[in-house]
Amino acid sequence: MVQWRGHLSRRDALKLLGGAGGLTIGKWFQARAIFAQQLPTSKESEPFTGPGPNPHWNSVGPYVSEPQKAPLILLTDRPVQLETPRSYFQSALTPNDAFYVRWHLSEIPNRVDLSEWKLKIEGNVNKPQTLSLSDLMEKFKPVSLTAVNQCSGNSRSRFQPRVAGGQWGNGAMGNAVWTGVGLRELLNAAGIKQGSVQVQFQGLDTGPGPTGSGSNVFLKSLELSDSVLDEAVVAYLMNGEPLPMLNGFPVRLVVPGYFATYWMKCLTWIRILSTPDENFWMKTGYRVPDTPRGNTTPEEMKAGGVKTVPISRMPVRSFLVSPDGSYKIPAGMHVTLRGIAFSGYGKIVKVEISEDGAKTWRAAQLGEDHGAYSFRTWEAQWTPKTPGSYTVAVRATDEKGAVQPDEPVWNPGGYLWNKIEKQEIVVGKASGGESR
Amino acid sequence: MRKSLSVLLPTAGLLLIAAGAAGFAQFQSGSYGSTKATSLKQSVPPQFSRDGNFSVAPFPSFAPELAEGEGGAETQSFCAACHSTRYITMQPPLPAATWEAEVNKMIKTFGAPIPDATAKKIISYLQQYYTPENRKQ
Repeated sequence: MVQWRGHLSRRDALKLLGGAGGLTIGKWFQARAIFAQQLPTSKESEPFTGPGPNPHWNSVGPYVSEPQKAPLILLTDRPVQLETPRSYFQSALTPNDAFYVRWHLSEIPNRVDLSEWKLKIEGNVNKPQTLSLSDLMEKFKPVSLTAVNQCSGNSRSRFQPRVAGGQWGNGAMGNAVWTGVGLRELLNAAGIKQGSVQVQFQGLDTGPGPTGSGSNVFLKSLELSDSVLDEAVVAYLMNGEPLPMLNGFPVRLVVPGYFATYWMKCLTWIRILSTPDENFWMKTGYRVPDTPRGNTTPEEMKAGGVKTVPISRMPVRSFLVSPDGSYKIPAGMHVTLRGIAFSGYGKIVKVEISEDGAKTWRAAQLGEDHGAYSFRTWEAQWTPKTPGSYTVAVRATDEKGAVQPDEPVWNPGGYLWNKIEKQEIVVGKASGGESR
Repeated sequence: MRKSLSVLLPTAGLLLIAAGAAGFAQFQSGSYGSTKATSLKQSVPPQFSRDGNFSVAPFPSFAPELAEGEGGAETQSFCAACHSTRYITMQPPLPAATWEAEVNKMIKTFGAPIPDATAKKIISYLQQYYTPENRKQ
């Protein structure tokens, strides 16, 4: 009998491998040899939520320190996925060291040599480009914009029934000022040839899977007819600082309004395609039902025939950041409710709050406008008069007139969650009198 | 209302002081729970050179505790080739059919070279310890 945990000898490992025969994937084999005997870090049982929805604002992993990062909530360590704690969303801009992290493949760069590294623009172009970071910083006019980067699976742990995947709470999002070169300028420099249909992006990360498969390379493409290409930026600055390695140093693609899956980290290849991209991450991954809100049911999925489309813009969302429900509020006290709102479809025009569980609403005050694709902070004054438990809810409306719904969404990928957020807040007596 | 607290409730106060904490009608203090502190490493300033190399320290690995049982060795050994087994422990309890589909996706879609017999063992291990019926908190 093979001892399973941490005591797998070399001979046992080979015995286990016996059935595999004719392994051709060298890297995979190498990785197996390294990680097969990895020891657990503690005897504690591993945190999880379910089968009901995650009741917490954030996910439930331990706090860990990763390079260039403040302690963040660990989802997975290889590849690295980290969630930003709730309190960091009190400000419109998310600090770089608190910005969430999500990689797909395990071979993430630890080192980039800028004397060798070049951004390549290739494929169906007239003048292929090879640009160093200096070229990007000096030969092109810098542009800046503030934009929210949100993982497609943000809040996946709210889904019912639960779906497999990264079990994010609400913290797989962040907002930063991105500075770099307009993507359109780079495409113009290369000159797109007639008959091109899409532009594909590739970063430095790879995985040990078979060459070209979804477990070997992460590739995302956008239609050349998509107007978002005129707003996209190849960013070398994030909040006025170089990008943390885990957020895509030296440059990452910024696609304002779109989910983060298109925001290629460590962007190194921009490829003009003359036929549609059929790789796993376009054809199979990151697709949503072609229905209102991307909503479907497990039954419809089982029956088959649900048409899907690549995920694109982020539906309107808003959050209460503080108070977070972790303490009581004395009756009669004037407190300030604070939070953020955003939409991938443009400016936030209204944020409303409810103190009675989304029955009646009143307007909140919007904070400084950092642009259509930024977090918009909001605040509202609240004086709970009598003791009791209050369900504070918040909903936002964007410039297209879209309002957050109070109904959940379900799809097999765990994408597009934007249901109205609610927070229980308990109010206690502030004096010995009857009413308070 | 500014009378001395100990005058108001001397007995209750004394009792709690004896237990290592102070308690009165108007407040209680000095209560500490027992818990384990986990330390997070402070980062050591790296030695940088002035060349074009930009690097960070190795990303830390936090291998999780897997349920102990038949098929655990195969699960650790084969799944960890491409990703941390936190991809398993992070999940909510998932139905048996979902675990089967996940393992098959790793093989068919992602090309993981797992022999059939081993794949069966891994599936049955995950179904034994990570479904709504049997996952332990």
